[in-house]
Amino acid sequence: MDGHLVEGVARVVATDGDTVWLEPEQGEACEGCLSASSCGVKSGGSSRRLMARRFSMVNSFQGQVGDRVVFGISERSLLRASALAYALPLLLMVGGAMAGQLLTGSDADAAIASVLGLVGGLLIARFRAGHLDAKGELSPHFLRYAYGPGPSDHCDQE
Amino acid sequence: MQEFILLMIGAALVNNVVLVRFLGLCSFMGVTTKIDTAVGMGMATTFVMTVSSILAWAIEVFLLAPFGLGYLRTITFILVIAAVVQFTEMVIRKVSPSLFQTLGIYLPLITTNCAVLGIPLLNVQSKHNFIESMLYGFASAFGYSLILVIFAGLRERIALNEVPRLFGGPPIGFVTASLLALAFMGFSGISAN
Repeated sequence: MDGHLVEGVARVVATDGDTVWLEPEQGEACEGCLSASSCGVKSGGSSRRLMARRFSMVNSFQGQVGDRVVFGISERSLLRASALAYALPLLLMVGGAMAGQLLTGSDADAAIASVLGLVGGLLIARFRAGHLDAKGELSPHFLRYAYGPGPSDHCDQE
Repeated sequence: MQEFILLMIGAALVNNVVLVRFLGLCSFMGVTTKIDTAVGMGMATTFVMTVSSILAWAIEVFLLAPFGLGYLRTITFILVIAAVVQFTEMVIRKVSPSLFQTLGIYLPLITTNCAVLGIPLLNVQSKHNFIESMLYGFASAFGYSLILVIFAGLRERIALNEVPRLFGGPPIGFVTASLLALAFMGFSGISAN
């Protein structure tokens, strides 16, 4: 599982010394998805969303503005990140609510305990994410250049 | 305690949100091409669905029911879900920008997932209290994630096999989903006993 990578395509939008800034490209399947409008793929919100998802990498590949590159992140890191961001706060929230309900039998106490569990889970997630980030486990890696036109290279867009 | 466990098994397996209630089929077909995508989407949906169930319960009990505003239930819950998704996106971004870059792609898709709206509405219909609403939302979302991962595994295997051209792509996906639904019908025996 360690060796498997989840790949994505991104375009270099800025360079700053040894660092490049990239914007991920939406997959072609996104255009046909019924939820595309909520992502901003079919609306004017697209560029704002992409800008929000801008990320940086070390420019070990001499990338220039406009280059399209394939980046990868390991499946294990993705699963660990998902567990950290969602599963841990959720489990602490559910656990807190169950404990509150079973100990006091009151909805109000269960609700307060669930909020405390959620906040505690988010704080632990923040600490652990910082730890993983420092080890570089959450950072995408350059794999190769992507060739051919990207989704934003077509001139017949709506 | 036993009633909570039965409620969760019922929501996750016997009345599975995808294969029995047929909710959330768009994302079910859309994000199940790879297991890792299915896991990411499943966890994000579980989080949003559980938090939405709690907030929807609070709004129903403290606002809609006391003031006789039941006719605003659907639109209110849609707004609650959109707010929870936006809140989750903001929190993940604050907690860790790296996590947001890695996982943020799934969040907007949840807003239009009808399963996330369906579960709070079913909670109201079943007159669940706070803890029941939360556990029902959590277990339903777990059942949804479970199906997403199982189906993604099946589709990864199908992609490696030769499928007749007529059935290639979504048609074989729907055939597989129907067989999976038949298999899950076996769990209805639990409720009969």
